[in-house]
Amino acid sequence: MSAIRTDPEGRAMNPTTLSMLSREPHVITAGTALLGEALDQQAVARTDVDWRPPVPGTAAALAAALADPRRERANATAVGRMVSARPRLVGVRPAREVLGLEPGTFLHAGPPISWERASGPMRGALIGAMLFEGLASSPEDAEERLAAGSGITLDSCHHHRTVGPMAGVVSPSMWMLEVADAEHGGAAYCSLNEGLGKVLRYGAYGPEVVERLRWMGDVLGPALQAALALSGPLDLRALIAQALQMGDELHNRNRAATSLMVRELAPAVVEAAPGHAAEVLRFINGNDHFFLNAGMAAAKVSADAARDVPGSSLVVAMARNGTDFGIQVSGLGDRWFTGPAEVPDGLYLGAYGPGDANPDIGDSTITETTGLGGFAMAAAPAIVRFVGGDVADAVAATTSMYEITLAEHPAYQIPGLGFRGTPVGIDVTLVARTGTLPVVNTGIAGRVAGTGQVGAGLVSPPMEAFTAALAALTDA
Amino acid sequence: MNDLVEVRAGVYHDSVSLMRVSQALAALPGVSVAIVAMATELNVGLARDAGFAVPATTPGDLLVAIRASSDDAVREAAAELDRRLAAREAAGTARGEDRPPRTTRSAARAAARGAAGSGGATIALVSVPGECAFLEAADAVEAGLSVMIFSDNVPVEQEILLKDRAREKGVLVMGPDCGTAVIGGAGLGFANVLRPGPVGVVAASGTGAQQVTSLLDLAGVGVSHLLGVGGRDLSAEVGGRSAIQALRALDADPATELILLVSKPPAPEAADAVRDLGLGTKLVTALLGPGQDDLTAAVEKVLGALGREVPAWPSWPAPPGAPGTPGSECRGPLRGLYSGGTLCTEAAVIARSGEFTDFGDDAYTRGRAHPMIDPALRLEALDAVESGVVLLDVVLGHGADPDPSARLAPAVARACGRGVAVVVALVGTEGDPQGLHAQAARLNEAGAAVFTSNAAAARHARDLVAARVHS
Amino acid sequence: MTVDTRPRARRSLPRPSAGVGGRTQIGGAASVALRPALESPRRPARVLAAFPLAVYLEVRSEYEPHVIALVSGEAARLPNAVVLAAPLDRLPLGDECWVGEGSIGVGRVGIRVRRWWDPAPPLGSAEPSRLARALTHLDDICDRSQRRPGLDIAGAPGLLASGCLAGSLVDGIVAAERLLGLGPGLTPSGDDMLCGLLVALRHLGLAAGAPRAVWLADWLAAAVTYDARARTTPISATLLHCAARGQAGSEVLGVLRAVAGHQPLDPAARRLLGLGHTSGADLAWGLRAGLAAVLALRSWHGSR
Repeated sequence: MSAIRTDPEGRAMNPTTLSMLSREPHVITAGTALLGEALDQQAVARTDVDWRPPVPGTAAALAAALADPRRERANATAVGRMVSARPRLVGVRPAREVLGLEPGTFLHAGPPISWERASGPMRGALIGAMLFEGLASSPEDAEERLAAGSGITLDSCHHHRTVGPMAGVVSPSMWMLEVADAEHGGAAYCSLNEGLGKVLRYGAYGPEVVERLRWMGDVLGPALQAALALSGPLDLRALIAQALQMGDELHNRNRAATSLMVRELAPAVVEAAPGHAAEVLRFINGNDHFFLNAGMAAAKVSADAARDVPGSSLVVAMARNGTDFGIQVSGLGDRWFTGPAEVPDGLYLGAYGPGDANPDIGDSTITETTGLGGFAMAAAPAIVRFVGGDVADAVAATTSMYEITLAEHPAYQIPGLGFRGTPVGIDVTLVARTGTLPVVNTGIAGRVAGTGQVGAGLVSPPMEAFTAALAALTDA
Repeated sequence: MNDLVEVRAGVYHDSVSLMRVSQALAALPGVSVAIVAMATELNVGLARDAGFAVPATTPGDLLVAIRASSDDAVREAAAELDRRLAAREAAGTARGEDRPPRTTRSAARAAARGAAGSGGATIALVSVPGECAFLEAADAVEAGLSVMIFSDNVPVEQEILLKDRAREKGVLVMGPDCGTAVIGGAGLGFANVLRPGPVGVVAASGTGAQQVTSLLDLAGVGVSHLLGVGGRDLSAEVGGRSAIQALRALDADPATELILLVSKPPAPEAADAVRDLGLGTKLVTALLGPGQDDLTAAVEKVLGALGREVPAWPSWPAPPGAPGTPGSECRGPLRGLYSGGTLCTEAAVIARSGEFTDFGDDAYTRGRAHPMIDPALRLEALDAVESGVVLLDVVLGHGADPDPSARLAPAVARACGRGVAVVVALVGTEGDPQGLHAQAARLNEAGAAVFTSNAAAARHARDLVAARVHS
Repeated sequence: MTVDTRPRARRSLPRPSAGVGGRTQIGGAASVALRPALESPRRPARVLAAFPLAVYLEVRSEYEPHVIALVSGEAARLPNAVVLAAPLDRLPLGDECWVGEGSIGVGRVGIRVRRWWDPAPPLGSAEPSRLARALTHLDDICDRSQRRPGLDIAGAPGLLASGCLAGSLVDGIVAAERLLGLGPGLTPSGDDMLCGLLVALRHLGLAAGAPRAVWLADWLAAAVTYDARARTTPISATLLHCAARGQAGSEVLGVLRAVAGHQPLDPAARRLLGLGHTSGADLAWGLRAGLAAVLALRSWHGSR
């Protein structure tokens, strides 16, 4: 026994001391129940791990990933960047301007896909975009040209700092929300929300769809751009934080966020575009999901801030193209790890049923990627029917996501959990260890192009996307 | 008319739920008015208009105002209110949030979020299958926790990596294959119920550590901490990484006045590293092997260094007439049937002859529990001995068989009936759940000679064989 | 909200096991101060007081501690406590009690000790300069706290403090006699103050190398314990006997460890101050008086 050096606050400075030797024991037990029970008999405080083996076949890769000396710091850096991003809506401009899209180039949701493998709604949206851009004279003509592929370029939105809900098709003439990250300087883009019913993002391409897109380009986009120029950037981080406390989870419920957004923008819209203010505000008010696209761009710019940290196992994108579900990982660059997109399990509108549903589609899983949507279910009691029926199920959904995430969001908090931060930053190693997949809230698109939305519910990503990324980490 | 007015600070329920509660209370017999609401200006106004004397409140308080025809009716209503509010709270949180954590990482977080001032977890005890132990242990170290890895079959590279990370974080990795630790009196894994005291123990051997600490307890000397380091720590590859850290930590621990290091013979480089630490605290070593002190002798050295008397280690000679007692000699070789590896080695060194089996060895534990929990294999082996002397260990304490003599004593009696002399090394303390004296008495009645010192048991067994050779 | 505030609720609690004759057997962690009582032959005991988180047993014995606190994990851990492996409200406790032969019986519940802990762990040595800084810091925390001692410190407490500062046994004993049993409650404020003072003089006196402080602790302890059972409540008398030997509850030990530099002082002091109605503040006052005396008595050369 020899003297211990301490700093003035009384913390031991001697690196040789072990704090466990001077504190009342509190043991975490993982494994054999017998050993835990022996501690209970001794009245030792204990936290038991409900341990189960990892996903079959991943033990060696997990050990290799956790042995990577870069991982701990890399993940702290990556998730730190994700949660410190300060997304602000700075403008609304045409895609050709902000993304430099050439005629004949179309962006789409999810990992890259060809026309041949594209699902019904994806094909419908591409047809609609061809018509909107004046590149085809009829739906049949559009379909032929898309199938032939000449002069047509398809690419993933995610490759262009962009996200799109459902089919997520972006063409040069569409107007985009521009979100800038005031913390790290990035930018991200998302199209304007068209509203409900027959809309392009669900694969509808009738005349009314194209007509609406034109109005959005002629009236809505310019009006919003002018309003933002007057009002200055809109702080989306603060807006999302407030909406969470008002019952939104920011994926399947955007009612509060949309209302807050209107409140912020309405005076400037009236000032900047007096002739169109009424129709613009009526359009936004008529669509509880208007904010979704802005929220997605905010999520995208936050996730992109966390990209490319060598050694990090943090998921920076989850996206579906209606055929494949793909993820990207911070330490693995732009590689996609995919598995088949599943049909969501949910509630159906009207007479629709599971037989009418398309496999999972859209980039809106960027909200779950950054700790919103299904991860924030506990904040949205109004829509708990999507996750099983009562508030306890919603709380369970959110609580289980803490098991696979690296952090709790400092700004996005859930009142019902004592203002605990939302679970944020999916770690592929934790997914493989717990066998717990991200909880994704989603709309369900009709299988047949042009049907539109048939329901909403929950979907599980394919585990193989995560295990493939894990395997790649050990080679990276 | 009887009024109840109550303001509960900081209790929040949503207005719809409270309206339902109010409705239910108003429907009770004798209740004329029931207002259960958040104390907003509006609600307080309503209550005052209804004639209730409402004290000063804030909108964050819950206001309860009940009027009924009798005291009993008011009490009934108040009780019903509490039931309903409690039920709401239970429904709101129970299923969702009380899920147990799934990884050590999330358990560490849950513990840290726990009761204010508790400071979170202090250590993790990992006993998952060996191929997964690294993951849980790495979580613990990352969370700034020391970890005891009970699991075996953990690759040595992982052990080294964990121990290096732990040193950077100022925490200790005990194991892998660490069976025993006692931290501030709390026994982890296989450990005995020990009194607190001045001796710190660092052990690369689980049963060896149990032997020395049990003997110390029998001598009335307590243990500050027993830090296991895993059987491989003092190998050339691992180089005593954890032993060094553990020794330094005990050196800095104000409760530790003397340190006892227990190990099988270490690799020379590891031994040098340990020797060159320059500890301020007196160090006694028990390094098993030919020419070294046995565990009992090391304990006696410790007692000497502390100025304590060496007691007569408790033992129970075989009852008259049992094989091995005068007039009832036994013929045949010495068989050692052990559950503890270190105890087995120690006995073999002392006995110098005979056939020794360590049933705790990997070869016998694959796919089945350790013999300290499941004695089946060892009992079979005992039943198969037809003559001579059998020497075996019985280890008591946390985690071990709750009543080892229940199955062992009949087997001992059968062996004695076949003319086999049975010698038992009984490792444990009177405070152990199984009770040292109770176990000793049962084994002794069955015909065994019982010793609390394994070395003494081994000498006795050797003497039984030697006596026969001489006669 | 947190998992840990109800750790036991999460598990199904198979632990209290029904043993022979319908008895419930549970384990517990006991202070070594209770070892003599537990190791002696069985003696009858009675339930002195029962609270949601603690039950006090009085053993008919001349041993101290003669009062044993059975507590749940969440309760303050007194130096005479057995921390039970199951919450008290789940146990069929009864009035017929005994203590000895390694266990405690309360009604149909049998309690076996499965762990021993030390209510007086050594502090090691501590630099006087850091003790002086710690005293300033502790004074500051207590002055800023809403929690106040239960007695006017200008009276007997003041005399006790000044007597100890001067190393005067006479003043110390006179003041201690007046404080013994003074104040309301299970543990009167005067007793809590004496407890804090006694453990501080002994532990910090040893740590700082102030033998006069330890000497003072010995003599004050002898005076205080001589007729404690007659002068104050049984629980308080037992705690005074414990304090006389340097044994204290975990909150007091936490502050002592923090003062000696083994852990941060602020949270430890706040936990202590939060105890009971005034107990925490009374104990803290005793610790401060003891620490001040230790610092003053380091250079005491027996000049008087």
